[in-house]
Amino acid sequence: MKVKPVNHAKAAEVFLQDEPHLKFHDERLWDMRQKRDQQMHILPEWQELRARASEIKEHTLAHLPEYLEQFEANAKKNGIHVHWAADAGEHNRIAGEILEKHRAKSLIKSKSMVTEECDMRGYLEPRGITVTETDLGERIQQLDNQMPSHVVVPAVHKLIPDVAKVFAENYQTDPNERDPHALAEAQREAARPVILSADAGMTGGNFLVAETGTFVVCTNEGNADLSSTVTGLHIATLGIERIIPRMADLGVFVRLLSRSALGSPITQYTTHFRGPQKGGEMHVILVDNGRSQRLGMDDFWTSLKCIRCGACMNTCPVYRRSGGLSYGAVYSGPIGSILDPTFNERKYSTLPFASTMNGSCTNVCPVKINIHEQLYKWRRVLAEHHEIPFVKRELMRMAGRIMGKPVLYRAAINSTNAALGNLPRVALYNWMNPWGKNRELPPAAKQSFHSWYKENRLKKEKA
Amino acid sequence: MNSREMILARLRSNRPDPDVYLLPDIAILGDQDRSRARFETSLAGMGGAVLERQGEETLAAAVARRFPDAKIICSAVPDYEGTLHIEDVTSPQQAAETDVMVVRAPFGIAETGSVFLSEAQLNHLNSAAHLAQHLVVILSEQNITANMHTAYTERQEFHTAHYGVLMSGPSATADIQGVLIRGAQGVRSLSVWWE
Ligand code: SF4
Repeated sequence: MKVKPVNHAKAAEVFLQDEPHLKFHDERLWDMRQKRDQQMHILPEWQELRARASEIKEHTLAHLPEYLEQFEANAKKNGIHVHWAADAGEHNRIAGEILEKHRAKSLIKSKSMVTEECDMRGYLEPRGITVTETDLGERIQQLDNQMPSHVVVPAVHKLIPDVAKVFAENYQTDPNERDPHALAEAQREAARPVILSADAGMTGGNFLVAETGTFVVCTNEGNADLSSTVTGLHIATLGIERIIPRMADLGVFVRLLSRSALGSPITQYTTHFRGPQKGGEMHVILVDNGRSQRLGMDDFWTSLKCIRCGACMNTCPVYRRSGGLSYGAVYSGPIGSILDPTFNERKYSTLPFASTMNGSCTNVCPVKINIHEQLYKWRRVLAEHHEIPFVKRELMRMAGRIMGKPVLYRAAINSTNAALGNLPRVALYNWMNPWGKNRELPPAAKQSFHSWYKENRLKKEKA
Repeated sequence: MNSREMILARLRSNRPDPDVYLLPDIAILGDQDRSRARFETSLAGMGGAVLERQGEETLAAAVARRFPDAKIICSAVPDYEGTLHIEDVTSPQQAAETDVMVVRAPFGIAETGSVFLSEAQLNHLNSAAHLAQHLVVILSEQNITANMHTAYTERQEFHTAHYGVLMSGPSATADIQGVLIRGAQGVRSLSVWWE
């Protein structure tokens, strides 16, 4: 049976009808974007940091096998067990085996997009292992049986009454509680005993450092440090693209990450794990799950530079006004729309159309991924692989949403700026971008798509 | 072929030309001010506080003044007694009863108001720094580094510690309708005491 493509437009329509949720979601994410801008303006070296981050990542991706081997050798020297998982299934098996060996029945974990990608809870729980998400937003989503709707703030689409309802059902708190401090306290009180009696802990990770065999976890709530230090058994799961060469390179990335994500200069906790604690055991699972294939895709490999800051989501008028869940995928927003089709081209074939192509995502990306160009290239790929009527229909849905919603239309206009310089006029004004049809955009190079495409590709190959 | 070899082989055949993408030099960018004033401003921005010395008072007196209800004060430094010493804490479960933990950081970062702690400061009970309700961190002005770049290039701890955490203020969350809450799941407050 063929999988059905996600109906993003329809799911977004439902979200758009809920005015209070929509308004908060839109404003909250825009506020995060503005806080990011403030941080950017404080640092005169901001653009240089972005350029460095991009160069370091591109270099590392081009030397991925060597750096992964270097990481493995150093981590092993320090007493870390290193595992390699080709796909989601293997990742879950490895995690399951480690837990089984320790007869662990209760696993506490901090947020990890990779474990979401692998649907690890769905694998472990039928095997008798209770998995407790300890990040507040992630826990809310777990209790509500939903995927995270944002890579940094998983429950950003919920309002206080939604959280009160979920907690009342699970923590027996007052369903009419409206004080967020009391709700956060309820989470702390509920989590502590679970953390203190757990058998094993698990975290994701933001960076792997080849030079030292270190992995780094950047978080705010303290739950990742609790999950990793309390039980004596720490399993960390990271995608293979997370690696950087040198400890000193962290300076560049740590300075960019939280500023881009939340507009804070650093996360409350930046934790460097280089080996197990005294008497403890530490495992790192290096996950491929499609990444090595993506590295071979000429137009899309640079999406592997992503450090999951979420800035492209916060700035995207379509994401802000459709909500992460409408993407029907683990990764949502602009980055999701270019990553998801590499996991399942048919299922996620509609997502590259969920964009106004305003280029704002590309502008804010701390590692300079050409997100809006990749969205456009995905549309071309999908037009080649699918029926033209399908592509036309998705475009019409997109256009209908934008033009039919004055607020979204305005948001799209307001954030139309720079970045467009890289796209040829024909890409903006042809039938694949209905948005461009109705609006005169900043002037762009007069060049046909094909010559532009060829030139850029050749540039990349020669560069 | 096992997964490791399969992944590495696929990466070798799929990667872009390695000779094209060079590794840039190590970056030392940004403001090089490593003053106490800059550290304090950054610390406040992250929700941390300075435990100000009133008159000639000792650390013990300042802790008692700041945390009048504290019953268990766990000291991880030799020059301060508290109600018990970290060497006498044998499990995370016991550490979880701590009201205030006092610890000395080997260095701080002016750009972010961060303090560094590792197993060397925590007698290998790393969870103690997160299970306590409040944290008091002793820091010397001499040991402030300017920013993240200088921290990673100057400080050897990043190459030696098994567990090294940069704590920048107390734990925090904004996961419920965007409201910033200081004191999430780790320490509820973090104060720096200058020595
Ligand atoms: S694509 Fe760029 S902006 Fe978007 S999450 Fe990744 S790093 Fe952040």
